[in-house]
Amino acid sequence: MAGNATAQDAIFTLREQIAKMEGKALPAAVAAGQADLAARGTQDQRARLPFGIPVFDEALEGGLILDAITEVRSLSMYDAGAATGFALSLASSVEARESGPVLWIADSLLACESGVPYVSGIARFGVDPTAVFHASPRKLDDALWLAEAALTSGAFAATILEIHGNPKAFGLTESRRLNLRAKAAGRPLLLLRHAGEEEASSASFRLLVKPAPALRRRLPDGTMLGGSIGHPVFQLTLEKSRNPAPLSFLLEWNPHDRQFHLAAEPGPSALSWQRPAHPGTQLSASADRQDRPQALGAVVAFERAS
Amino acid sequence: MFPSIDVFDEDEKADHALLEAVADWCDRYTPLVALDGKDGLFLDITGCAHLFGGEEVMLRNILARLGQMGFDVRGAISSSPGLSWAVGRFGSGGVIAGEEMADVLGVLPVQALRLDEGMIASLNKLGLKRIADLLAMPRAPLARRFGAQLLLRLDQALGMNEEAISPRRPVAALSAERQLAEPIQAEEHILSMAGDIASSLKLSLEARGLGGRVFELVLFRVDGRVFRLAAGTSRPLRDPRRIAGLFAERLNAVHDELDAGFGFELLRLNVLQHDTFDVLQNDFDGQGAKETSLSDFIDKVSARLGSDCLQVYRLRQSHIPERAEMLTPAISAKGEKQQAKGGETEYSFTPRSDRPLRLLRRPERMESFAATIPDGPPQRFRWRHVVHDVIRAEGPERISPEWWLDDDNVEERDYFRLESDTGRLFWIFRLGRHNAGKPTTWRMHGFFA
Repeated sequence: MAGNATAQDAIFTLREQIAKMEGKALPAAVAAGQADLAARGTQDQRARLPFGIPVFDEALEGGLILDAITEVRSLSMYDAGAATGFALSLASSVEARESGPVLWIADSLLACESGVPYVSGIARFGVDPTAVFHASPRKLDDALWLAEAALTSGAFAATILEIHGNPKAFGLTESRRLNLRAKAAGRPLLLLRHAGEEEASSASFRLLVKPAPALRRRLPDGTMLGGSIGHPVFQLTLEKSRNPAPLSFLLEWNPHDRQFHLAAEPGPSALSWQRPAHPGTQLSASADRQDRPQALGAVVAFERAS
Repeated sequence: MFPSIDVFDEDEKADHALLEAVADWCDRYTPLVALDGKDGLFLDITGCAHLFGGEEVMLRNILARLGQMGFDVRGAISSSPGLSWAVGRFGSGGVIAGEEMADVLGVLPVQALRLDEGMIASLNKLGLKRIADLLAMPRAPLARRFGAQLLLRLDQALGMNEEAISPRRPVAALSAERQLAEPIQAEEHILSMAGDIASSLKLSLEARGLGGRVFELVLFRVDGRVFRLAAGTSRPLRDPRRIAGLFAERLNAVHDELDAGFGFELLRLNVLQHDTFDVLQNDFDGQGAKETSLSDFIDKVSARLGSDCLQVYRLRQSHIPERAEMLTPAISAKGEKQQAKGGETEYSFTPRSDRPLRLLRRPERMESFAATIPDGPPQRFRWRHVVHDVIRAEGPERISPEWWLDDDNVEERDYFRLESDTGRLFWIFRLGRHNAGKPTTWRMHGFFA
């Protein structure tokens, strides 16, 4: 028994250390063990950016953390517009809170595939284009260096690092390094991963962005103008958070108010097609979680049916 | 016959490169170094000789060191480039004092006057072999017979006619250098030395009320190679630590190219461009500190990744989407902004209609099918081999070519916003007017959120 207790104690201590290193709130078990210290505040007091949508903010425990990495992921290069839009809308919200310019670290492949951020479009989207710095590094190493230097300088309200796919040179070590820089500087880093897979990283949240049909344009009298294309709508899936089940939302961005609105009621995960066919399962499938086993290779062709 | 002699073809390019390298090396004596033909250098040492222990010592030093490198060198110091050229190539060299100019020049052959071959031949034919013969002649008949060139060269050699040499590099507004007894190799030594030099430069900058915009660190390697590293700043700078910091990034960037070899024996810091330095008082809300950290960041990035890497957007007065924006290097934009502050306000214009978030560098050709109305948007299109179905469309927005810039054959564009069945929003345009007799084509130009 005594040995067991010592082991438990050791585990608690290690957990505490890990939690400290990762800058997270202490695990519940440890927090309970330190009831006397709880009064001093084991809740993390980090600055957060609320979306103004109760359901979403609740899932995010108050909003995006402003001194950490937030990853925005898209499934394909065709969704570059939506991913760019969502990242810029986040940057715009951050910019409204904290003074300072926005740094956009571009990816050279994306520039060829889906073009470069366009100044008039940025202006129409609610971001002051004269306060946007555009960096076009040639290599990923340079991009990472830029992101680190930008975070260290603390001059930027938000830094957007755009990458494509899951490059080997940007792994857990690099993302942890950037996360620490972001934490030290108190500035957010938005990691915009185009056409990427889920990957373990130090990002506090990971959101999957998919384009969604826009609502119609709102007329002054409150009705909708038929056949028109209104404000952009994003289909967001909260892939990584403290929330156990991945949530899916449809958010409309209003560039004039710089505000998100709920475009539809929150539903179950948009990844529901990945769930097992048997409807009786109550627990969420492990396929949706971060720690799912990695599939070996990518599917390039299905087996012949006959 | 000399069987031990190797015969090569002349390689003019390599010879020139070698001469340039020697000229670079000579930069240590004076910033005013000019090339002279294929095999000579002019050094304007006005005001420099005392730094090297007087003219005699300086000349001996230059000749000896070049001799050690394996060059066969002659040299002369005098008060005119023409005389130095003559004495260096045809005389015994050395330092020629002002009063003995005519005597020294007199004994030299007329070839020493830098005349063309024909004139030398005709002078020789008349028995005018030495310059003393020319000096003894009356000037007017000489000019009539041989033209003004002969007298010009004669006057230039005697220093009666000013002759300017054209230096290879612009002369730095300010420079400071450090001669080292022991060559240094390590990067951190170079940087700390650069910081030291920058602090001695700081005093001169302060005295003039200036700050440097472009700095150049010149590294003279022991074996004669010279490296030049230039680094720009987004605003005038005189803080030695930050100047050294610039070169830290620069050294990182050129890491492999900078071969320290046996070390550097002389370091020089030049201020190539400067600006008035506005002294800022720190305010309490830390806005000043933020400005400084931003310009620090810009300098760092520009020094390491080049000035084109970090850019800012500028708007231009144009309706053509790709012409309405311009990306300018952040390092130069900051200065422009400060200049523009007093005068005109910066142009800013937001178009009334929606513009895409991402714009392709150049519009891409696409195919469009099944328009419900003849000049309307397509119901379906194919771009990059993928077919997209259109659910909704907005448009057209017609953008006419800018006839004051373009040719007549540039066609107008009708832009449409299309929403595909997946919710993606595209910005496409039709090139050319419908029913104008010519076939129209479609282009993909951008993406909305």
